[in-house]
This record gives sequence, C-alpha cells and structure tokens, in this order.
Amino acid sequence: MVAVTVSNVKKSFGPTEVLKGVDVHVPAGGFAVLVGPSGCGKSTLLRLLAGLEEVTSGSIAFGEREVTPLPPRDRDVAMVFQSYALYPHLTVRDNLGFGLKLRKTDPATIKARVDEVAAMLGLGHLLERKPKALSGGQRQRVAMGRAIVRRPALFLFDEPLSNLDAALRAQVRVDIRKLHDQLGATSVYVTHDQVEAMTLADVMFVLNGGFVEQSGKPLEVYENPATKFVAGFLGSPAMNFIRATIDAGSGAPRAILGDGGVTIRLPPAVADAVQGGAKVELGVRPHDLERCAAGEADVTLTIDFVEFLGPEIHAHCDLAGTKVVACVETSEGAGVEIGAALPLKIRRMHLFDLESGRALR
Amino acid sequence: MTAAPLDLRSRAAGRLLGAALGVSALLVAAPASADDAPIQLWHAYRGAEEDALNALLARHREAGGPPVETLAVPYDAFGSKLGSSIPLGEGPDLYIDSHERLGDYRVRGIVAPVGDAFAGPEGYRAKAVEAVTLDGDIWGLPLSQKCVALFVNKALLKEVPDTLEGIAALQPELPEGVFALAYEAQGAYAHAAILGAFGGSLLGPDDSFGFVGEPAVRSLDFVQSLIDRGAVPSDADGALVTNLFRAGKAATAISGPWLAADLAQSDVDYRVVVLPTIDAAGGAPMRPLLTVEAVMLSPQGAARPEVRALAELLAGPEAAALRQEKARTLTARSDVPLPPGDELLAAFAAQAEVATPMPTAPAMRATWEPANRAIKAFLRGELDAAAATEGARKRFDDVRRPPPPPANPTPLLVVVGLGLLYLAYSMVRAARSGELRSNLKRSLPAYRYITHAVITVGLLVIVPLVVGAATSLWAGRPETGHYVGLANFVDILTARGGPLLATGSFYLVLLVTLLWTISNVVMHLALGVSLGLILSRPTMKLRGLYRVLLIIPWAVPNYVTALSWKGMFHRQFGAVTGVIEWMNATFGTSVEPIAWFAHFSTAFTANLATNIWLGFPFMMVVTLGALTSVPADVLEAAEVDGATRWQRMWRVTLPIIRPTLLPAVVLGAIWTFNMFNVVFLVSGGEPDGTTDILVSEAYRWAFTREAQYGYAAAYAVLIFLMLFTVTRVGEWRAKVREERELAAAKAAQAASGGAH
Repeated sequence: MVAVTVSNVKKSFGPTEVLKGVDVHVPAGGFAVLVGPSGCGKSTLLRLLAGLEEVTSGSIAFGEREVTPLPPRDRDVAMVFQSYALYPHLTVRDNLGFGLKLRKTDPATIKARVDEVAAMLGLGHLLERKPKALSGGQRQRVAMGRAIVRRPALFLFDEPLSNLDAALRAQVRVDIRKLHDQLGATSVYVTHDQVEAMTLADVMFVLNGGFVEQSGKPLEVYENPATKFVAGFLGSPAMNFIRATIDAGSGAPRAILGDGGVTIRLPPAVADAVQGGAKVELGVRPHDLERCAAGEADVTLTIDFVEFLGPEIHAHCDLAGTKVVACVETSEGAGVEIGAALPLKIRRMHLFDLESGRALR
Repeated sequence: MTAAPLDLRSRAAGRLLGAALGVSALLVAAPASADDAPIQLWHAYRGAEEDALNALLARHREAGGPPVETLAVPYDAFGSKLGSSIPLGEGPDLYIDSHERLGDYRVRGIVAPVGDAFAGPEGYRAKAVEAVTLDGDIWGLPLSQKCVALFVNKALLKEVPDTLEGIAALQPELPEGVFALAYEAQGAYAHAAILGAFGGSLLGPDDSFGFVGEPAVRSLDFVQSLIDRGAVPSDADGALVTNLFRAGKAATAISGPWLAADLAQSDVDYRVVVLPTIDAAGGAPMRPLLTVEAVMLSPQGAARPEVRALAELLAGPEAAALRQEKARTLTARSDVPLPPGDELLAAFAAQAEVATPMPTAPAMRATWEPANRAIKAFLRGELDAAAATEGARKRFDDVRRPPPPPANPTPLLVVVGLGLLYLAYSMVRAARSGELRSNLKRSLPAYRYITHAVITVGLLVIVPLVVGAATSLWAGRPETGHYVGLANFVDILTARGGPLLATGSFYLVLLVTLLWTISNVVMHLALGVSLGLILSRPTMKLRGLYRVLLIIPWAVPNYVTALSWKGMFHRQFGAVTGVIEWMNATFGTSVEPIAWFAHFSTAFTANLATNIWLGFPFMMVVTLGALTSVPADVLEAAEVDGATRWQRMWRVTLPIIRPTLLPAVVLGAIWTFNMFNVVFLVSGGEPDGTTDILVSEAYRWAFTREAQYGYAAAYAVLIFLMLFTVTRVGEWRAKVREERELAAAKAAQAASGGAH
C-alpha cells in the first residue's frame, strides 16, 4: 500500500485543457473517490494515475516514488475498467493469471493465487469458461479478480458498477468496500454517482471543469459544501437555490428573496458572514424544509406538483419565482396535494456569493 | 391466413422456374432449318474490314440475292463457338477464318469442301490455293493473305542491304541504343522465317516434329550470331518490337500488317520491303509463315446452292477489289490488280510469293510450345542448339503420344448403376416408413423457396463440375475421344512413366505449387497484417489516404497488374533494369541487369512479387476490419497488466483477430493455389515450364498441346480433390476444437453444479 500524491497536474488533449492544475492526496490504505459530472476530468485523472496517459505538467508520486514518467507496467497498479475489458480469447483462469504470466511468475504460484482469488470471489466454477459465456455480474467479478490477483499497491476503479443493474450495484458496492478493508491496499475510485461516492469514500474529491472543487470526508463535504457547485452536486433531490438580497437594516439581517415578495430572517450563524446589500444565492436542501403549523412557518408555499416516492413525498412549489422542492415524510403527508398551501420551516440554510459561487460562512 | 402470400410467392417461383427452363431450352434446342431461312455468316472482322463486308452484302442484296444475317464473333472464341453450334445443326452456313484451322475443323466435322463454289485455280494466287487444299480437296475459298515482311525506318536507313547479314553489319554505324533489326527472336513464329531460309520447317513430314536436325541447329546458331553482334534485342516480344520501331530505336523490324496499323498514328517515316536473304543459308530467301483468310462452309451450308453462290461471290474479283480499296487487305486473287502506287501492299504481295503456308495439320498446334521453349533455352545459353531442339522433339512426341487404349466402361457403369440402385432403394424405404411423406409435406414450402437457388447452382456449378469430372475419364480429342477409365490419372500420378521429379511432372509441379501457395500466403499475411496494424493506429496522419493507396493494387484488374509487372521485369527495357542502370551510373557500381525469367529462382521471385502486390491488400482490409473487434480498453487492460507493446500485439491483438483472419487465409490459399493469371502472364512458366503451377499446367494440356481435354480435366479433378480435402480437414479440426472447448465448459459447469 502506498500514499498517492498528485501535485498541480495539468493535462491537455490538443487545444482542450481537461485538467487545469489538480492536487490530490490519498493516504496509504485509503479509499479515495473522484466524483463529478461528465467531462470534469475524473476519468482522465485516473488514467494519468494508471499511466495510460502522460501528464502535460505536474507530477504524480506513489509514496516516496516519483512515477510521472513511468509506463503502467512499472507502476504496480491494477485497474478495473467500466466495460471490464476482459481478454475475450482467454478463459477466466487465463484472464486472472495474465498479469502474473507476463511477469514470468512460476506456474504453481499463478495457479495457487488464481485459485485463492477465485474462491474469494466465488469464481471457482467459472474458471474454464470464456468471458462471452459469463453474465454481467460474473464478468465484473472476473475483472475485480484480475486486479486482486496481482496484489498491486494501488487499485484503480473506473466506474466499475455502471454496467450493472440497480440491485446488483448496491450489493457489489458493499463487496468492493469489504474487499478494500480486507486487502488493505490504497484504492482510487471514479464515479459520477454521488451515492457510491458518499458510501465508499474515506476521502472524496469533487471535480468540476478540470479543478478539484472540494475534498474531504464525504459527510463533511455534504454538510459544508465549499461552493454552490458542490452543494448542488451532492444530495438528492438537489439543493434549492434562490437569489436573494441581504437587508441589514434595523434588527436582525433578513434576506429579500427573488423579486422581493418574500422575506426571511437569517439565523445568526449565517448572518455574521454577510453584509447588508450583498447579492447572494440562498441554498436550502429539500430535506431541510420542514412542514410545520401555519403560524410557525418561515415561508408558506403553494404546491404545483407532487411526487410520491414511498417513504417520502416531494412537493414541487414556487418560491418568489423560483422552483423549489420540499421533502415531506409520508406519515406527515396528509393534505399535500396540488394547489394546497404548504407552511414550511427552514431548518438549515447556506449562502453562496452570487459572483464566485463560494460559500459565505 | 398465410396461404395467400405463400401462394403468390410460389406462383412467382413457378414463373422463375418456367423462365429458367425456357432459357435452358433455348440453349439446347435445335431450331428447324428451312431452306428459305436467311444465310448465316460469321466473321471476326472489325472496323474497315467489317464495313467492306457489309458494303459487299448490301450490293448482293440489291442484286436480288437471298437475305444474309451476319454475326461478328471474337477471333479467339471462333473455334469453340463453331464447335458448339454446328454439330447441333445451328451456327453459320459459312464463315470467314484463318486457313490453319482447317485441319482441326475437318477432324471435328464442322467444315465441308466447297464443291462447285471453287471454279478452278485460275484467278487465285497459287500459294493461297495451296493453303486451303487438304488431301486434294478445296476446303475454303481464299480471300486475303497475311505474312510478315521487313519494315524499314527511312530516317535511319537510306538503302536496305539485300542480306540479313548486311543489315546486321550496319549496327556499328547506327546511333547509340538503336538496333539494326528488331523481331521476336524468342518466338517460333518469327523464327520460322529464318528456319525456312535454312530449309527447315516447324512441322515435318507425317506430323513429325520439324524443328530439329541441321536446319534447326544452323538457324539457331545464326540467330545467336546476330544477337552476339548486338544487332538484335534478344528478348523482344510483339509489343516491344512495335515500341522499338515506333520510337526510332530499331532501323528495321520484322512484322506484319498489324504493325502498319499501329504506326498509322505515329510520325515514323517507313517503308515495307521483302525480307532479305541469308548468306549463311546459301543466299536463300527468308520464308515467313503465310496465313490465308478463307471463306469456309459448314456441312449444312455446303448443301445449299445459294450459300455456295454467296461464298463464290465473297471470294470473287469484285469483292476482292472492294476489300482492297476499303480495308487495304492483301487479296488472294491474282486477277485483281494492286492499287497503283500502294508500295505497302505491293511489298506484302511480293513477300507472300516466297512465304510458306502455315501447315493445317492439327499437330501444328503442338509444335509451338516445345519450339518456343527450345529457342528460349538456347538463347539463354542453357543448352546448345542440338540439345535444345532434340529436347523439344522429345517433348513434342511425349505430348503427341497415342492416348491410352479404350477401357471397358463396365466398371464405371456398374458403380454408377449401384449408386442409382442404392438411391432408389433408400428412397423406397423412406417412402414406406411413411415419415418421408409427412416430412415432405411439412417441408414443401421450404423446398419451394430454395428451388431457384438449387436450379441456378445446379446449372452453373454442379453440372459443369460433373461434366468436367466425366471428361477426365476420356482421352483424345473431344469428337474422336474414347473412354479410358482412370488411365489419365494413372498417367499423371506415375509422372508419365518418367522420373517423379522430372520437369513438368505432376509431382514437381505440385511441389512448385505448394511452395508458391505457402510463400504467397505467408507474405500476404505478414504484409497485410503489419500494414493493417500500422494503419489502424489512431495517431497516424493521412490514414485515409494511405488506405486508399494501399487498396489500389486490389482494385486494378489482376491481368493488368500482371502485364505491368512482366514489363518491369524485362531484362533489357524493364523498370528494374532501369533502376539498376541508374544505380550503376550514380554510384559507379557494376551490377548486371538480371534476366528475371532465365532462372527458376528469379522467375519464381518475379511471380511472387507480382502476386504479393496483388494479394496483400485483401489481408490488410480483412485485418483492418478484424481490428475493429479489438476493444481499446482490452489493450489498455493488458498495458496495466504489464504487457509491452510487443506482448500486447502477440498475446492480445493477434489472438483476438485470429478467428477472423483464418477464413481469409483459407480463401487466400485457395485463390493463390489457382492463381492462373499471374503465373501465365508474368513468367508464363519460364524457364522451361518450371514455374508453372497445377492450373497453368492443366491449361497447357487443354489449349497448347492439341486439346487433350481429358488429361487437363484429370489435372483439374486432382486440384479439386486436394483443395476439397484440405478445406474439409481444416473445418473438421476447427469443429473438434470447438467441441472440446464446449465439453470442457460443460464439464466444469456440471462439477460446480454439485457444489452450488
């Protein structure tokens, strides 16, 4: 197991700059998740770690070892591909043993390690089959096995679950994390799925537009998003954003929402971070909008549309000209219907600078 | 519900079937010939000659003659078209063809004596009448005559010496790079004129080989002396003679009226004179072979008086004058004056007087190949004149040795009969079991769908195959042949009683064919796969352009390519020699130009180079296609797994594309095994037939050795059997491997089934 240090790495494909100076540190044995929307550069960063692409500038080190110029075979990494990338002409056994065979490991050792990994992943009965005779889940396990057999210092995962159906995905997600804990090697995992990111990561890097927007433990990042992008990217349904102007007049500071029809008080913790007259974006997670009695409400909204998800109800409303979503537990959902008034209390709010998108706190 | 469309389809299928049957009926049925039917006239004329014929027939019609229908048939196909139509009572009543085919036509019964159409020798030139006379009968009415004469470049030569030696002696005075005389020195046709001066002929008395003995030896030694003096290019073919003369690189050339036609577009100032005499032959004149074009009658045409009358008209003085005026052909009549002032026709007419009519005996066809080979072997310096001509005579005798005695066809009939009996028995048994009827009823719609395909494949593939296979059991000429059982095969497989690896023996040719196939396929694969791998790299610039350029060899018709390559390998004037000369001039080296077709290794290499050029694009295209089935991430996975570029290619890319390449390799091997065009056109089997492969050898038996179709068919059957066996064994092995894999997977599954 090694620590991974990426320092100010830039990567361009022709005139297109995909990574614009990225710093990432993963402690030895840690499970890092790179998350972000399509085109944010997360897969490129993973391929740079694997050595499949060369950096344009910057450096990559595994532990004390500078690996920037090294080809993949000298980096001691293993990678699980989104499409699994199994060798179609080889049996499962030969797929698993391919890397060891290339390294001229003696056949007895290869057999022993392949059998061990096959047992670990429940692939024992599939060893003589070719990949085309396997199901999607089995192929995924073979791809994992091929990485594990090599006992690399670093595992790289490139969206390994995206080709599985939802039920299997949840199960394999758990398996991957268990395997990581069991094997103890450092892992870097790329996904666009925030659920995977939140559940798997020791440390999470949110990428956007070629930069790391924020990194840290998943819950910290979720609770205290550093930018409007991170706030909107994590969490489902996504955070509601409403434009507002701060009124610091007499008494407690208030936020005048949208076109000015609605005004809400700012809690003291938030109020300290802003000055009067500032233009901000006010962010509230749907789960932080709590249904309450009409008298206690911070805002009262009219329901446009309702989605029933089982445990909860998503009420789509209009707030000062902006669409917002509120989550109501089904047990408290009586009377939530189109056209009804919904009195809400704001449990927690975030303020972001309108210009830079940075959190104000 | 589905009955209606099914019915419609079956009706459509019925119509198709009807049409197919109708077409085949047209092909085989003989229409009744009535006496008042228009006269059918076939010819191979084009251009001015055809115009002259049509003008003549128009006059004939105006004068109240019976209607005539003409058909222009390509010259090369003339004989086979006549042979396949006249015996069925179809085909022409009269046709215009070269006299040397008369002997062959007579044996095949497709020509008849002209009878009263020939009023007497008066008015015809004696040589022309001699040419169409076989055993005292007149078999055709002479129209025109052709032979070679001497073309002289007026700018290079003011006075023409009377002797060939005199012309050769002018060599030192000519500008650099100009030959005193250009002619096809390696060809027996042109050599026949010199041989004639020495008193020899290609075909001797009683159909024996004539190019042997003192005249042959002296004529060859004489030619060698001309070449040694640098007066004659040693390896010119017809095209090169034309090019040399047209480019002013030859002071004189021996050629026929066709050269005059080629020169019509050029500005070469030339005249034609009678061929010189040869001092070494005691001052005797050169005697070229004379071809007489004659109008001939088919047996059914000869029976009709109006056809004979038309033949007489075509050969008459009025027609001769018209042809001479319109098409400038040299008439065979003596009573039609030459156009005044036409020196060209006058020269050819004078030459025809000293020419020798080409022998009409069918054996003549068998003289060319041995004579050509003897001349080439001699000029290459491999053999002296006596040994070369003696070897040629042996080959001629071997080819013409009597066919095996007729065999008793009973064994064949018994085998065929037993086969039919078994077939009938099994059909009856199946019918009795009752299953057949229900099966038949159930699958009748399916049979309807495949009927047209079965008929098409049957007519185009199965029938010719069976006919070909049956032909291999016959010997002799198609009309006069007899059943010989497996004698042809025995003859071939025992190397005609000679040493197993003698020149031209089946086993040697087979070895050459295998060497040819293997080296070609290996090179095609190596080159095609390498280029495919290079061209598939996404980083490569101008990929599309390179792909198009590299596919061009494949898009060019292969005989065009073959002829271009043959030209490039020419020892004196080819591009390869040009490169060598340029190298010598630039770097001061002294590399000798290579006589590519003088040795087996170089001739084989020339063939190989041509066919590699032709064949690699196919493998390249297949590889490019196959490479799209190699996912990029699998290669990346291998890279992460630790594979070098080399290991990725050998352990990942190639194994993945292997199943796609395999059928292409099998197909390529079969194509190469039967790649007639390249072998025939580039080396032509040279030297001495050693680079021939099985198909080109079969071709020679059928078409240059007196039409031994049975023998050639036996070759074809052997080729078929070999390729069939190899393909089936390959398929069987692939199947076994697949089954083994499947069984292994199943066994593993069963074993694990217990565990789970």
